[in-house]
Amino acid sequence: MMRTLVAGALSLLLPAIGLAGEYNLTVDRVTIDTGEFVKEGVGYNGTSPGPTLRFKEGEEVSINVTNNLDEMTSIHWHGLILPFEQDGVPGISFPGIKPGETFTYRFPITQSGTYWFHSHSGFQEPEGASGSIIIEPEGREPFRYDREYVVQLTDKHPHASERVMRNLKITPDYYNRKQQTVGEFFSDVSENGFLSTVKERLAWGDMRMMQADVEDLQGFTGMINGKGPEQNWTGLFEPGERIRLRFINSSAMTYFDIRIPGLKMTVVQADGNNVQPVNVDEFRIGVAETYDVIVRPKDEQAYTIFAESMGRSGYARATLAPEEGMEAPVPGLREPARLTMADMGGMPGMDHGDMGSANKMAEMPDMDHSNMEGMDHSAMMMPEGGASDPFYAKGSGLVPTAANGGKFLSYADLKAQKPLYEEREPAREIELRLTGNMERYTWSINGVKYEDAEPIRLKYGERVRFKFVNETMMTHPMHLHGMWSILDVGAGQWNPIKHTVSVQPGTTVYMETEVDAPGQWAFHCHLTYHMAAGMFRKVIVEGGPESTQAAFSEQPSEIGGDV
Amino acid sequence: MSLAKFAVAAVAISMPLAALGAGTHGGGHGHSAKSGEPGKASDVSRSITVEMYDNYYEPEAIEVKPGETVRFLVQNKGQLVHEFNIGTPDMHEAHQKEMMMMVEHGAIQGGKLNHDMMEMDMGHGKSMKHDDPNSVLLEPGESQEIIWTFSEKGNIEFACNVPGHYQAGMYGEVNFN
Amino acid sequence: MKLWMPLIASAVVSLSVIPALASAQERMPDTTQRKQPLKVWGAQFEELEYRYSDSDEEIGVWDADFFYGTDNFKARWLSSGEYSFEEQAYEKLENQLVGQIPISTFFDAKAGVRFDTPEGPDRTYAVLGVAGLAPQWFEIDANLYVSKDGDTSADLDAEYELLLTNYWILTATFDATAAFSEDREIGVGKGLVSTETGLRLSYDLVDRAFSPYVGVVHERKYGDTADFARADGGSTEDWFVVVGARLSF
Repeated sequence: MMRTLVAGALSLLLPAIGLAGEYNLTVDRVTIDTGEFVKEGVGYNGTSPGPTLRFKEGEEVSINVTNNLDEMTSIHWHGLILPFEQDGVPGISFPGIKPGETFTYRFPITQSGTYWFHSHSGFQEPEGASGSIIIEPEGREPFRYDREYVVQLTDKHPHASERVMRNLKITPDYYNRKQQTVGEFFSDVSENGFLSTVKERLAWGDMRMMQADVEDLQGFTGMINGKGPEQNWTGLFEPGERIRLRFINSSAMTYFDIRIPGLKMTVVQADGNNVQPVNVDEFRIGVAETYDVIVRPKDEQAYTIFAESMGRSGYARATLAPEEGMEAPVPGLREPARLTMADMGGMPGMDHGDMGSANKMAEMPDMDHSNMEGMDHSAMMMPEGGASDPFYAKGSGLVPTAANGGKFLSYADLKAQKPLYEEREPAREIELRLTGNMERYTWSINGVKYEDAEPIRLKYGERVRFKFVNETMMTHPMHLHGMWSILDVGAGQWNPIKHTVSVQPGTTVYMETEVDAPGQWAFHCHLTYHMAAGMFRKVIVEGGPESTQAAFSEQPSEIGGDV
Repeated sequence: MSLAKFAVAAVAISMPLAALGAGTHGGGHGHSAKSGEPGKASDVSRSITVEMYDNYYEPEAIEVKPGETVRFLVQNKGQLVHEFNIGTPDMHEAHQKEMMMMVEHGAIQGGKLNHDMMEMDMGHGKSMKHDDPNSVLLEPGESQEIIWTFSEKGNIEFACNVPGHYQAGMYGEVNFN
Repeated sequence: MKLWMPLIASAVVSLSVIPALASAQERMPDTTQRKQPLKVWGAQFEELEYRYSDSDEEIGVWDADFFYGTDNFKARWLSSGEYSFEEQAYEKLENQLVGQIPISTFFDAKAGVRFDTPEGPDRTYAVLGVAGLAPQWFEIDANLYVSKDGDTSADLDAEYELLLTNYWILTATFDATAAFSEDREIGVGKGLVSTETGLRLSYDLVDRAFSPYVGVVHERKYGDTADFARADGGSTEDWFVVVGARLSF
């Protein structure tokens, strides 16, 4: 079912036909108990995370959002395709929702899958203001399951977000307790020899870069569906059932490596869009991403859902069990990753490693395998042969491996189940260098912070190719609002459709976007404190159906109270 | 992939193939004894059309009588390669390992089959040729017949063992009555 | 059904409001906080300690830093002093007010004024300095001072942190002061004036907000400055045992 621009335009005229549903959300001050500490936060309908909103494709929804806070708020429907005025970004889509006010979002549901929603005001999202969205498709789904659970991950930190931001700005390694120590120096010496260890330390010291700079914010408690590791959220099942787990990473800063010891997981959806099923033992979920997996526990026993943070400083844990109260062993944390010089590949002046897996994959001959040549390509699909993943710099210290030695999902494995768009040549390429200064904790795009940046201008109806060049040492989950990010994994028309694209250090990643949504949109790194520090852009789509252009032209002066 | 590893893989693939072969032809193998055997056209009592979509069957369950011979007309109406394979869950599981090999070596590429690759000599006189009598592997738009005699009651499913498809739910129940 | 009313209403509204709008025009300017430079404040005591010298002298010492500003400009108040418990007097009391801007990836420039108001004569200086992170993780702070009377001096502070563990930190500091002209009244001779070398072992007890430490500090005066000190009956070299805490708010 190819969606054309015409169809997209038509759908804008159809809101008054079909299903309609009304939903109510209140934005409240809540108390969050992680089992390790209790803190004040922001939630929806009295809880954090908020409720699961269940929509149906084709439905016209009205969502009444009542702001019970004493500050402005907003809700962004992460991954939903909708008119820009409904996108919920204060200062870009609408003015925001004042204290005491009820704002009604109205938009048609034109897609299906697992998504989420969160505040786009200040630091309300890391303070707990998020919830999940399940959209049932109009037709049948291309997979079967007997029951389903949302598995929403968060990284709850004992510090208030304003405080975290301030600490990071003053002391960027404030929360990093996985730094290299004297002890590690000596263990490296005994492993690699004195000279090479000293040389390595000097090389990093010369750049003033830390090999341990994997996780900005440590000291959090990983939560699943609002439960800390000790509180152990439990999903019940009957042995033999297929269970669909809808993983949502609504963390502020934390990437998680997820596994369920004893179970294979079949990834069937990424960022709300169905993908050709992939069996994996473990996968990494970037901040703001979603992955749906199907598991089939056959035995009458408990299984641990173990989500270990990428920097190995914390974890979230939950349980699948035939009955409440059953538990399975909880694995220990693995050794923290260390960045390598390969991860510096994107730094200016360094060897500019064009990791574009995409390119390499694309070059893969049409599999003319009449002889054994080209077989080493298969190494790219089977990371177990020495950690390698085309979406990480070659030799990167961040390449994940499965704890059981099995299959770890790569972006390269993601293929659209059904192409959403017809493939065509992009009109132009826009290079976005992801830039920053870890010692100052400044984050920017093309070296320019949002406060100083001009908007990115796109033309309605064009297809653009974005080239992300990560020149920093950190992984950035880049999220474009309003339009799909077609991630180039080298699969042509089968390239997966995402809303959030992780760009690893030292790599170049391409994505294409069909500019089919008029208006103005946010485009940013979804790590809360990177976004707040300036890794953010406004995107303006010029042209398009006239009716959608009206919205805010008449009231620009009162906009922007998001303080 | 190193040569040594490849050899191991080749052995791995040949073993279940051998096991299957023994089962279907000799009838002495535990698994396939429950599954049935290739049928003769003259014994066919009725035909069932099975349509394969991405990634599910229509219908998702069929009714058969023990000993009944059925002609399946299998059509791939999806955009991806799919399989129709009659067997027990254990047989499917074993077969999935072979199918994984086929994907890893490019014999199955999304919506295409690479027949050269499937013919390729994997050593030990084996290839990745998909020629088991209880199954057909089809590209989008293809259709094929399979005549099968169900032997006795058992836990039989028809399934697509293209990696991930079975796990995602591309299977159907064979109910005996 | 009531639901339909707002839907139809909104459809009607959205169809009726179709003003011709130049497509290139920005629909609404972003005037939220996000579009403003991030403002940060901080208050830190790099040193807040009790010193006990080898000549039984007891002094209280602090080195504090308060700032407010953005990435592009920060206003800083730097305060440091030494209080002698015996004499109940400030042996040293310096306050600087400086503005700070980034000048390179790892370094900032500072400019402002410094007021010295210890026991004895006061001094006011203009300050020009650089501060930042040198290769191999040395924290550097170097300043040039010109007093109202035209006396010039300079100081250089360097600091290195060695992580014994991620919580036990050994910090080495080295401060040196030199004068380009003599200021006899306050006991400063031309040339290298003094050095202070310290070694402190700290433990991050509460995040990085409260890190108690113990250590040793060695102070030494040189050349004419040492002569002046001797003439005034003071010591030219001291060893201290120090106990204190690093604070960050």
